Amino acid sequence: MTTPAAHTTAVPGTTGAPGTPSPPKELSDLAVMIGGQGGDGTLTVSDLLGRYFRKRGLYVYTSRNVLSRIRGGHADASIRASREPTAAVKADVNLIVAFDKEAAEIGRAELAPDGAILYDSSSFQLEGADTVGFPFATLVGGAVGQPIFKNTAAYGAISVMMGFDHAQTRAVIEERFAKRGGEALQKNLTALEIGRKAALETPGLADRWHVADGDAQHQILTIGNQAVALGFVVGGGRFFAGYPITPATEVMEYLMRYLPAFHGVVRQAEDELAAINMIIGASYAGARVMTSTSGPGLSLMTEGIGHAGTAEVPIVVADCQRVGPSTGEPTRHEQSDLAHLAHLGHGEYPRLILAPGTVEDCFEMTVQALNLAERWRLPVILLLDQALCQNTTTAEPYVLKGVEVDRGVRLSPEEVLKLETYAHYKFTPNGVSPYVPPGTPGVLAQVTGNEHNEMGHVSVNPVNRVKMMDKRMGKLLHVEPELPVPHMFGDPQAKIGIIGYGSTFGPIREAQGILEREGIPTRFYNARTLFPVPTKTLEPFLASVGAAYVVEHNYTGQFEDLVRGALPQHYQKLRSIRKFDGNSFRAPEIVRAIRGGSKA
Amino acid sequence: MTTSVKPVASTWCPGCGDFGTLAAVKKAVAEVGIPPHEVVLVGGIGCSGGIHNFIETNGIHALHGRLLAQAVGVKLANPELTVIAAGGDGDGYAIGMGHFMHAFKKNASLLYIVMNNETYGLTKGQASPTSQVGFEGNVEAPFDAILTALSIPVPNFIARTFSGDPKTMTQVFVEAIRFNRANRGFAFVEDLSPCVTYNDTFKDWRARVVDVATLPGYNPSDRQTTFRLCVETMQAGKIPVGIMHRPPAVDPKEPGLELKLLPDKIGPARADIGVESNRAAYEKLLRAVA
Repeated sequence: MTTPAAHTTAVPGTTGAPGTPSPPKELSDLAVMIGGQGGDGTLTVSDLLGRYFRKRGLYVYTSRNVLSRIRGGHADASIRASREPTAAVKADVNLIVAFDKEAAEIGRAELAPDGAILYDSSSFQLEGADTVGFPFATLVGGAVGQPIFKNTAAYGAISVMMGFDHAQTRAVIEERFAKRGGEALQKNLTALEIGRKAALETPGLADRWHVADGDAQHQILTIGNQAVALGFVVGGGRFFAGYPITPATEVMEYLMRYLPAFHGVVRQAEDELAAINMIIGASYAGARVMTSTSGPGLSLMTEGIGHAGTAEVPIVVADCQRVGPSTGEPTRHEQSDLAHLAHLGHGEYPRLILAPGTVEDCFEMTVQALNLAERWRLPVILLLDQALCQNTTTAEPYVLKGVEVDRGVRLSPEEVLKLETYAHYKFTPNGVSPYVPPGTPGVLAQVTGNEHNEMGHVSVNPVNRVKMMDKRMGKLLHVEPELPVPHMFGDPQAKIGIIGYGSTFGPIREAQGILEREGIPTRFYNARTLFPVPTKTLEPFLASVGAAYVVEHNYTGQFEDLVRGALPQHYQKLRSIRKFDGNSFRAPEIVRAIRGGSKA
Repeated sequence: MTTSVKPVASTWCPGCGDFGTLAAVKKAVAEVGIPPHEVVLVGGIGCSGGIHNFIETNGIHALHGRLLAQAVGVKLANPELTVIAAGGDGDGYAIGMGHFMHAFKKNASLLYIVMNNETYGLTKGQASPTSQVGFEGNVEAPFDAILTALSIPVPNFIARTFSGDPKTMTQVFVEAIRFNRANRGFAFVEDLSPCVTYNDTFKDWRARVVDVATLPGYNPSDRQTTFRLCVETMQAGKIPVGIMHRPPAVDPKEPGLELKLLPDKIGPARADIGVESNRAAYEKLLRAVA
């Protein structure tokens, strides 16, 4: 920025505003980071910008960096808007909006070379040619009597700097505050104009950028946790029990709104032990069930999941991973539960681990998880991560197309009465015994986590034990053709392979685009079934590439380990790209690692 | 006729108090007239928790301490089922204490029977939460479930019975099951059920039990008085038994949890979850996401 050190302006208290007018720079992929103390209204600015960008047909992706506390402390949000679909945080930020010094300090490292920092100079000053300060709180406090509207004033200043359409800028405020009533709306509109005036009266500030329009107006705005909740409802899920835990809680909160209209029940349990056992009881009684949790809750549920595995009670557990172990970093991103889940619990029992990579996947695969759980009468883990669960993204509207409910072998009262004998744990070729819900006239069942015979009676007979183990564990072989297949992207002839799952989907796809433009073709294996390890598709993939980069948010390479164990013939091809600092991957990090031929 | 699971012979020691409980449960279910397929017995872990194997009903054997959570899940999934959870004092008052306290608060209409023998019998006689001071080196005060239950202001059914008096026990179970079936909420019965092998208290308890209904001022809907009567009885070296709390009438504000959540009593297990039958409502739900 070419800003004179001393700048005179009509706006009192303005410091260091940029200078010479130049033609606006066209942005077709931009990021704004807004930071401040909790209660500064940073999320409102992000929300307003998101609404505006969506009106202009852009794809939007928002991530939040909040601390595990209710009020106070630094919090920031970053919003990306682009003409192309994206599900990744942008590596460089065009504009930082700072309501505290920390926002500028944290954000500066990611500021684009021609980026700017817009800040509220009411209470602090920032140095630097790329900074521009307005005393938003003071100006707004004087005009509407409430400094809290400073965030809307900042939105006004941004609208000038980015050359927003004025009518649509105002329309966003009207939509956002319509429900709050006339006074709140008027104050926000006043604050908006204060922010605009300040920016307009500062030479060289207006139209620094021009934001390109897109054609994604039809897209919805959603998060993975909402997709899981909706998938649960349309997939026939009717009983949910959970315990509040970041970043999983929204699943329960959405279901509290959705389920009562469908004869459904949502219970906030006294702990995760109760939650997992409540869904086991409800599933035994014939309901489609799920719980959602994160690391610490998952640890408490582990005994219950094993019980469901051996008692053959179908359950779905959504694990929204965060930084662990122990309390770790509750609000931060990681993918470090897979090793635990693949070997979950004492003893041995079959479980499936599915990993959606997008919100569309979250919706679709929650339905699949419910079907698989009931068809095969075993626990299914839906492996999610903080970024996928909580980052807001534009997406295609949710539709019912393709949604099917398949409950497996579930006998009607008429079918049961035709049987000579009903055995709840009957041995069958594929290990799945026909299910009859309790309350069905004429038949009884015993269900237990003790080793049992076909009738459900406790048994320590060695012959029966072996047969029962074969029955349960054999499901893992028989279920294989029904498991979600990987999504493949990129050049089928490429010698560089990339393996990733969960929210690494977005950054990997973006990295593929960058590499492609540099003339480096890649092939991306987006794993959607993680356990049992999908060797049928992974083997030919690994055979086809010279090297495969496994992209994961953990220290030890948990999926890489599983792949190496299942396909040892390809171990020399595996390369690691790992990140465990609490933040999700930025595409250039993956690009750099692949360019450099990273090896663990 | 389809053949399905039949009860097996019990694994209890001859003379165990749990035989009395089992007999009383069977009689009570028959007297209320519930067909076996409509009953789900949720068993805990420990000698007493095996009870679901010895009776002709449906059964689910829960994890140690988690029988109440599973029982609540069963009841809320299908409110038409009669749900009886039964386990021991270790299961309910030690590892399962969190769920025990919350069961009163949740107030789902199910019967919870704790067969209290003041010891961990199956693991060979360790002290339990209800063990007296001095038993197997126990230095902690015994936990009293009835005083605890009385202190929770929810219109639950609360009683204590003695396995040495199966006739009264049957009557109490009948009342409790009827209370549940009227969707009036949670029923808790602590049954004093001696372990003849590790803590044979039959004689001692028979000499010390006092039916609170025989005490002056007794009123089963007045928990404050019952609490005082229990404390006074205990201070006199006796053991209070009988119906400790029974709300006088249906409380429209505090029905069983299943009725609050599922007024039509269809519930998750019996809901039609077909995509076609829900299409219009599903599409409306999905369209609302903008």
